[in-house]
Amino acid sequence: MIRKRPITLTVNGSTYARDIEPRRLLTDFLREDLGLTGTHVGCEHGVCGACTVLLDGNSARACLCLAVQADGRDVTTVEGMGEIGALSLLQEKFRKHHALQCGFCTPGMLATAHEILNDAAPLTDAEIREALSGNLCRCTGYEHIVRAVSEALSERLGGAATGSAPNAG
Amino acid sequence: MASHRGEAKLIAGGQSLMPMLNFRLLDPALLVDISRLPDLAQITASGRGITVGAGVCHHALMRSPELAERLPIINHTMQYVAHMAIRNRGTIGGSLAHGDPAAELPLLAVLLDADIHITGPAGDRTARAEDFFLAPLTTDLSEDEILTAVTFPNLAAGSGWGFEEIARRTGDFALAGAGAVLTLHHGVIADVRLAMMGVDETPRRLPAIEAMLLGRAWDAGVRASAVRQVREQVNPMSDLQASADYRRHLAGVVAGRALDTAWAKGHMP
Amino acid sequence: MQDDARPKLIGSRVQRLEDPRLLTGAGGFVDDIQLAHTLHVALVRSDHAHARILTIDVSAVEALPGVLGVYTADDFSAKPLHATSRMKGYQSTGITALADGKVRYVGEAIAAVVAESRYIAEDAASLITVDYAPLPDLVDPRIAAASNVLLHEHHDSNILVSRKFARGDVAEAFANASVRVKDSFRFHRKTPLAIENRSYLADFNKGKQALTLYSSTQVPGVIRDALAEILAMPGHSVRVVAPDVGGGFGGKASLYPEEILVSLLSRRLGQPVKWTSDRLEDLLTTSQAFDETIDAELAVDKDGRLLGLKAEILGDVGAYSIYPWTAALEPMQVAGFLPGPYQLANYQAEVVAVATNKTPAGPYRGVGRPAAAFVLERLIDMAAKRLDLDPVEMRRRNLVQPHQFPYRTGSGIVWDQSGFTECLELACKGVDYPAFQAERNTARQAGRWFGVGVASYAELTGIGSRMSAAPGMPINTGTETATVEIDASGAVRATFGVASHGQGLETTLAQIVADELGVPVDGVQVIHGDSAAVTHSTGTYASRSAVLAGGAAHLSGQAVRAKVLEAAAFMLEADADDLDIEDGIISERGTNKTLSLAEVGRAVYSEMGRFPLDMRAELDLRATKFYDPEFGTTTSATHIAAVEIDPETFIVTVKRFLVAEDCGRLINPMIVDGQVHGGIVQGIGAALFEEVVHDQNGQALSASLVDYVAPSAAEVPKLEVLHLDTAARGTLGGYRGMGEGGTIGAPAAIANAITDALSHLNINISQLPATPERIYRLVTQAIEGDT
Repeated sequence: MIRKRPITLTVNGSTYARDIEPRRLLTDFLREDLGLTGTHVGCEHGVCGACTVLLDGNSARACLCLAVQADGRDVTTVEGMGEIGALSLLQEKFRKHHALQCGFCTPGMLATAHEILNDAAPLTDAEIREALSGNLCRCTGYEHIVRAVSEALSERLGGAATGSAPNAG
Repeated sequence: MASHRGEAKLIAGGQSLMPMLNFRLLDPALLVDISRLPDLAQITASGRGITVGAGVCHHALMRSPELAERLPIINHTMQYVAHMAIRNRGTIGGSLAHGDPAAELPLLAVLLDADIHITGPAGDRTARAEDFFLAPLTTDLSEDEILTAVTFPNLAAGSGWGFEEIARRTGDFALAGAGAVLTLHHGVIADVRLAMMGVDETPRRLPAIEAMLLGRAWDAGVRASAVRQVREQVNPMSDLQASADYRRHLAGVVAGRALDTAWAKGHMP
Repeated sequence: MQDDARPKLIGSRVQRLEDPRLLTGAGGFVDDIQLAHTLHVALVRSDHAHARILTIDVSAVEALPGVLGVYTADDFSAKPLHATSRMKGYQSTGITALADGKVRYVGEAIAAVVAESRYIAEDAASLITVDYAPLPDLVDPRIAAASNVLLHEHHDSNILVSRKFARGDVAEAFANASVRVKDSFRFHRKTPLAIENRSYLADFNKGKQALTLYSSTQVPGVIRDALAEILAMPGHSVRVVAPDVGGGFGGKASLYPEEILVSLLSRRLGQPVKWTSDRLEDLLTTSQAFDETIDAELAVDKDGRLLGLKAEILGDVGAYSIYPWTAALEPMQVAGFLPGPYQLANYQAEVVAVATNKTPAGPYRGVGRPAAAFVLERLIDMAAKRLDLDPVEMRRRNLVQPHQFPYRTGSGIVWDQSGFTECLELACKGVDYPAFQAERNTARQAGRWFGVGVASYAELTGIGSRMSAAPGMPINTGTETATVEIDASGAVRATFGVASHGQGLETTLAQIVADELGVPVDGVQVIHGDSAAVTHSTGTYASRSAVLAGGAAHLSGQAVRAKVLEAAAFMLEADADDLDIEDGIISERGTNKTLSLAEVGRAVYSEMGRFPLDMRAELDLRATKFYDPEFGTTTSATHIAAVEIDPETFIVTVKRFLVAEDCGRLINPMIVDGQVHGGIVQGIGAALFEEVVHDQNGQALSASLVDYVAPSAAEVPKLEVLHLDTAARGTLGGYRGMGEGGTIGAPAAIANAITDALSHLNINISQLPATPERIYRLVTQAIEGDT
């Protein structure tokens, strides 16, 4: 039996203290231990980006992070970005532009897009594509995702943003 | 570490180690997380150069004002490393210790003649980057040692630099990559360094070509000759994405382009 | 639809009803379902492509804490299920939960560990050792076809399907030809690569002796029927639920061994049993596709008219004939669609589908048609070049003309009216073809390797009962059901047999029902993907759901509307013909009398006494209708691509991509665009990046997402889509099926564009993907050949 270790971390604004195996992945911790199944697992080797969350405000692959490494840190998952009836700016734009189909890659895509918005630098479509290139989507062909992120970014830069996520900075 | 000799692994960002654990390619008895050691997270400028703690992530390198001022090739090259989420977590120490022959930071360390600072049971020591990388995924670091920092010496004033890499997709490991740094004197190359990645067992300089370039202007004839010699001197492997022949061809392309950029920048005031 | 009530929602860019839950992490995919006391499965998989299993040593595992058991084929007595076919000479293979004595591809499951957690199950699986007696690895289909070593001992040979067609006088056509062009084309193997890996959770209820399987499947109805047979349970005691499913693209449209396995284990252990694939398992075991070698020759007259076509199609179908589609599916589709949307009377083809020691082949977006379009569109460009004819003009002369529909192709497929020529013209207009060519010429003069490529194709979609989705397959996929009902609160529910997995059917089907009933779209709850919700279903595949489920939605919506109006007419003492429904309010024209749907619902169910006795038997506001388009619909498109190749690195960049397509009337243009975009990018992947590679021992080399290169946002261009948007005749609603087409046209258009960009070197692209490595070799050979 592997000895468990205590960790305490903040997820979507709530503090959780748990004893967990050191080898437990952050994805499994979020999904199975906290029931936050919005974070999806697509490859477990850091390529597809479906598991991307915000770790201390920056995008990170939850599948390449041990839960013990998140001890003391602040995690934002898709559940913390907005809710039904109160979607974040990005979530609204994703819906408006049909930037999701099956929705499996979407939580990770949103986390990456969040960091793009947080960086608050004007980007061309080509630069947005490059910034999103760590998140594979198999349904949309990316076209509508680029439009959604582009519009959200220009609204953020234009100061027109409303209803943004709590950790949007 | 010492008590788990051979069974322990250091983890920082985990961006290279975690996939290997997830694939169960490695099964260490002990993982030591060094990502919270504050001393490892510093970027410090000194007269000689810039010392980067092993725990500094790629993203911090990309945004570092100290580097932008003295060693902008490092900021620039970080954009080629994987993707945003990986750059946020992956560290310089992890990348160097992992020693992937197609990774950017090992190439930069070799190109820029970095000193790699190591600590272990026998005390502190410093290795030259050129001597540090021994084989694919194999370095001079022994199992009970920790890579603590890297010092990149300042570039000479007015240096031109260039970096080029070719990958199948944005952020993928390079099929071939090259970095070049040069200074000019009276319109000819006074000093030059050229290093390659992805086309040999380790990143490496090409001293014969560097020597050939000294005292010359980077004109079409010199360029063609350099490109040809690069292809003769590299020793690439075949894999799923590219044959050795194609990699050899690309080595010439990226070396030529990196030197084009370095030459052009070297002319800037 | 009433004549006077024009549709409001059909044709609108309605925001999807699925989105709020999926955008907030509140979706429910199979692996998200957490049932109490769930046991987890890890599988020991073969690292040999072809071997007899000698021993399986589980001794190191059985005593491990947290391990409940280890199972091998010997532990189950269920008979293998065979994908049958009416096709003469076809040889079927059986599907079982675990390899029975022999492994036939790397990754085939041999033993299953059941444990309290996936971590423990994987720990245990890694301790199990298997002794193999290796057999010759049959990796090359040509060698496998001739080999005496059989993958399946009961077979006569490794050839599972062998067929010849001929129509017209091919010999004469070739004898009369001014130009003949031919090549050997190779389309390399792909994997569908849904981002959600396959996941199955079986929950056997001991009290009810009933099984629920939550499955990331496109075809819950097919799986239900198969499991009922395998488990020898009545259909009503087997329920297959496809909840939110993270993409399928055909890869989730077949029965998988793991679905059988978790079902058997849950029944045996009396607890829920879950297995979720990791990406390595997905890349080894999810059905693969597009693995054909096609030797083809085209005969053309001096004016560029197509006279005849000959083809030999060799399909590598992997180790098993997949259930229910069979190994005939893809190679036969290649043959069937090879004549394309053109007037081409004389055609002969030979199809051979060979079993090899690789992952079984199955449906993948486009099924055979991407390869067919690639071959024919390349041949047309090759002929156009010989005749010095513009590729667009060549197509213009040969496309089936509007007055020629219905048109029977050389393979016997009948094209119903569709905008073949209109799409070509619309695409040319969309890119401003003369300006597009001028841009290409200017770039060329500047020494850039720039090329333009065109591809036209047609596909059969929304297939009805007179045809079979897979050749010779005994399952009827030609009908679809819809139940529309209004409850006592006035809420509308519409239940379908289809299984949306990204297509947005919860929205588009709600649009149809809402228009029929006169209610707001978000007032319609769409139920799908649940075998227990309908009497019979198959699922969502083959571009069928909009046509078939859409048609059924119209019929049942109309029937319920009539019932509502009948009840309301009685309540309002009005004539049903004088009533309208809008926004859930029934009103009598010319008066101010109104009733809400909720009032009608309450009256019908809770105050039934208000209605006369003879009305009550049929009073419920509910109707189930089936829809069968009988033949189906013809969807067509023209794709135009511009590419630029770096003359030093040989990396291809797609500079522009435009599609003009005819999918009939659009239910939701935004969703249609999304489907086309997604299809195009999978087509770009197929053309430039994606390839499943096996070594000579059948080891899969492309077993991670680093090695199987799927395009990211940075590798694809802005995508442009134009629609004809004209109603298809002959189907309810005027819809044509769509969703696969992007993947059909894109590889051909890009192959033509690359060939155009390399025209100064006389290089023909005859293999896809056109990776930089392949182009490097072609260019090197061309230059060496010149000197």
